Formats: sequence, C-alpha cells, structure tokens
Amino acid sequence: MELPLVNDDTMIDGEAEYLSEEMSPSESESEEDVKLAEPSKTAVNNRDALLDKLGDISWPENVEWIHKLSIDIDQEQEVDVNDDLARELAFYTQALEGTRQAFEKLQSIGLPFLRPADYYAEMVKTDSHMEKVKSRLLAEKQKMVEAEERRKAREAKRLSKEVQSQKLKERAKQKKDDIESVKKWRKQRQQSGFADDGADKALDFEDGKVFERSKKKRPGVSPGDRSGGKAKQAFGKGKKPKKGDVKNSKFGFGGKKGLKKQNTADTTNDFGGFSKKGAVGGSKKRKR
Amino acid sequence: MGKRKRSEKAEAEAVPKKEDVAPERPVRTLLGWKDKNEIEAKDNAASPVFRNKEKVLVTCSRRIVYRYRHLMLNLVSLLPHCKKDNKVESKETKGATLNELVELKNCSSCLFFECRKAKDLYLWMTKCPNGPSVKFLVSAVHTMEELKLTGNHLKGSRPLLTFSSNFEKDAYWKLLKEMLLQIFETPKDHRKAKPFHDHVFVFSIVDDHIWFRNYQISVPHNESDKLPRGSLDKMTLIEVGPRFCLNPIKIFGGSFGGPTLYENPLYVSPNQIRALQKKKKAGTFAKKVKAKTRRKMHEMASPLEPDEFADMWKD
Repeated sequence: MELPLVNDDTMIDGEAEYLSEEMSPSESESEEDVKLAEPSKTAVNNRDALLDKLGDISWPENVEWIHKLSIDIDQEQEVDVNDDLARELAFYTQALEGTRQAFEKLQSIGLPFLRPADYYAEMVKTDSHMEKVKSRLLAEKQKMVEAEERRKAREAKRLSKEVQSQKLKERAKQKKDDIESVKKWRKQRQQSGFADDGADKALDFEDGKVFERSKKKRPGVSPGDRSGGKAKQAFGKGKKPKKGDVKNSKFGFGGKKGLKKQNTADTTNDFGGFSKKGAVGGSKKRKR
Repeated sequence: MGKRKRSEKAEAEAVPKKEDVAPERPVRTLLGWKDKNEIEAKDNAASPVFRNKEKVLVTCSRRIVYRYRHLMLNLVSLLPHCKKDNKVESKETKGATLNELVELKNCSSCLFFECRKAKDLYLWMTKCPNGPSVKFLVSAVHTMEELKLTGNHLKGSRPLLTFSSNFEKDAYWKLLKEMLLQIFETPKDHRKAKPFHDHVFVFSIVDDHIWFRNYQISVPHNESDKLPRGSLDKMTLIEVGPRFCLNPIKIFGGSFGGPTLYENPLYVSPNQIRALQKKKKAGTFAKKVKAKTRRKMHEMASPLEPDEFADMWKD
C-alpha cells in the first residue's frame, strides 16, 4: 500500500522537471552546437535592396584594373574550418595564385612590381621587432641542433659501452688463454721429464710473442716500496701524480686505521717529499 | 577676402580647375565622386580621371582591450589612406555622433572597433554618408607583433587583393566584397603610397566567415625591377599578419543604422553562447537529484529476490 503512494510522488516530480526542460527547446538544441541547429526564421535577406546599395557604392564600370588590384580565385574544395593546416594551406594557395596572376598582368602593363634589393624605406614592422624574430628563429634552430647532438652522443655512448665491454672481454679471454697455455706447457714439460731438447718444440705454440710484451716502460719498483712506484712518477711525466692515487697505492683502501702513516724500511731514508726551502708549508690562506 | 572667393567660384564653374585656394568639395552623388566641372567637360560614362579618394576613419570604443587595440593599430599601419581618431564614448556609439565625426574628418568610410565586456570585438564597416554598414563579430585575432609571423613589407605599398570565388554566390557577399575592396585598397596616387607591390591580402569565405590574411611576397633576387619568368616560380609567401576572422551579423541600409538589409541566420551572439555553457553546468545538482529518485524508483519497482544466504551468519 505504501509503494503506490511513493511512486506517485516521484512521478509528479519527474513530470514537473520535464516541463521545465521543455520551456527552452531551441536553446537546448543548440547546446551541443555553437551555431543554431535551425537557422532563425526571422532572418532578413533583402537581395534587391542589397544589389541596389551595391550599385550605389560601386566604382564606375570601366575603372582600370590598376585601381582595384583585385583578383578572384576559384576555391575548388571545401575546406574544413577546424583543420588548421588545410585551411592555412588553402589561404596560401589562394594568395600564391593571386600574386602570379597579378604579376602577369602587371608585367604586361609594364610596371615594376618587385622591390629592388637596395630600396630602403620604412617597413611595417620595426627593425628591433625583426631582430627579435630573428633571434627567436636562431634559438629554435639551436635547440634542434643541440637535441640532435645529444641524441647522437647518447647513441655513441651506448655503442662505445658495447665496444668497450667487448674489448675487456677479449682481453680477459686472452689473459686466460695465456695462463692456460703456460700451464699446459708446464704440464707437458713435467710429463716429458724436463727434457731440455724439447725446449724449442714446447715453445712453438707460444709463437715467440710472449716476451714481446707491450713496450710501455714500466718504472722499476723496488720491493719495499709500498706505493708501487707511484710516488716517483713525478720526474718521468712532469706532473705530480694525484695525491689520492699515491696515498691509495701506498696505504691501500681501507685496512687498519693506525698504520696509515707509519714508515717502512724503505721510506725512512726517503727524503723525496721534502723541499730544500724549509718551512714553506702551510696553507696560504691561513692568517699569519 | 569673401568677395574674392565668391568671384573665383563663379569663374571656376566655367573654367575647370582641379585644386583651388578654397577647395571645392566634389559632389558626392550616389553614383560616386564626380567633380562638378568634369560632368560638363565630358559626357561619356567613362570618368577620364577616376580618382580614388577613399579615406577611412579608424576609431574604437573606450575600454578596448590591448589585443584589439594592437589589431586596430596594425590596420592603421596597413592602410595609408586612413585617419586614426580618438576613442569614442561607448554610450554615444551608433547614430549621430559617429556620422558627424566621419563628416568632420572628411572621410568616406569608417572602421569602428567596438569592444564589449572586454571580451568581444565587433567591427563596424560603413560607407558614409549614405552607404550601407555592416556589423561583424571579430574572432581569431593574431596581431603583427606575434613572433611566429615573420614577414615584413614596405609601409604604404599598395596591396594585391585576392578574393575567393565564394563572394559571387549571394548578393550580400557581393556587397561585402565591394566594401572590402574599396576600404582595403590603397588609392593609386595617394601621397603616402609607396611604389612596389610586395604584399597580398587574402579574403576568403570559409564556413560563412570571412578570413583575412596578409602575406609578404618574397622572390629571390636576381634582377631588380622586371623579373624573368623563371624566378616567378620561386616566389614564396611569408605571413606578415595580422590575422582575423569576421562573422557578419547584420547589414544595414544606412550608415550606422537604417533598415536591415541582411541578417545572418546562423549567428549566435557570444553572450548567448556563454549563457548556454553556464546553463549546461547549472543543471548538475538537479540532475543528480533526479538520478537518485530514478534509482530509488527502480529499486522499488523491481525488488530483489530474497537471498538464500542472508541468514547464514546471523546468530
């Protein structure tokens, strides 16, 4: 019993709302569209009066074209307004066609129509404005070039990483092979009872290149030198090795804290780090 | 002085003189501008010296926005045969004041920019004193100061005008074409006109709107004046600006008023558009309430079957 009552109420409400919506029919139609769906019927189009007025204001019939300078261009296709590119293209082609025809006419009349390169006069846009335009164009070009370069660098980096990893692999492999070959040789020699006459034979497979290591001169390192020769590199290359390098090579990475700056047998007599001039040390920034 | 003038005038009627100390205004008949003297001199329809004495008065209303003001200034620089005047008070727009102003400045047409609510720009294009007038709604405005419009041309050079063929389709388009031609084309021997033709205007009708574009004609230079046919093909156009789109609203028979000769059936005023958009948004609460009641009704109308498992966890 309750149900139908409730139903009635809601139905009435619904009807009332429908009515209010119907009050504005034409506008609700055009809610979707900006234009009126049906053109307003009260529109006036008084063609005769329009043509009359046209006759009033127009210039006399036989005015020469040079006064009008107007060209009519056929617009062949319907251009969609919302397609920006197509629309602008249509305008551009219209202008281009128009200028061609106009220039032909002007040429036949014999009038000059192009501005010669040395004709300087006031232009519609100031020079300072054109400077801004130019700088903007240049900036755009610059951005494009930079983007290209960055992309290329990224690609090259990727490639170079690959190439580098390949090389490392190769070197590791080579090293492994060398060690293997030495081991084999040793084994062979062991097996054949350390016979001396087989020396040439055994060394054949090494191809004689074992003793031809890289010709880079390695500095002689005394056995007690904890820095592995890096402390004495200064004279050889004319540049002091990096401090971190020297310390790293001498004292290693990490390890016991206390022993870092202790002398070894070799370094007690090594006065290379001291200059003759005495107490020049101390930071220059320190106030005196 | 006065007596001398009168006697001179009497003589001038007999002897055709073009320019005088006290210049005699050429009679503005409905058929154009004709010097009194020349009617008597030659009787053919061909006016031997057709002088385009078009002068355009360019003004705007107060409270115009910077963008539209720049558009107006751009147009002033494009039309060397225009006179720019001060801002006109908004209340006294249509009707007598503007007509008087135009007469005072001795102009034959007028471009009046009316900006309403700091959002909408209306352009009145009129031929004074008796001519038809058109009211347009201006949209899609891009001024010459935009850096993307990179072209440049001589200030005051005569433009080439191109109209799309749509302008012949109906009477009102023809009338509009004639008005645009007269207003935008610099008179041939105008004092401020420069010799060469290096820019072109485009008026084209797309979607019942008039679109305006201004391009610079650039040709790679081999020879200065006359151009061998070959290089005509290498001609390119660079956009100079400004750009705008005109939507004709009404055409009146008189200047700034008069009988309505044409009304655009597809025109919706920007106020209406904004009102509709607001209405769309305004109904959301009512719609929500309606949806709720609809749901309630639906639930009542189609009751669910009693669930078998409803009492499962009841204790």
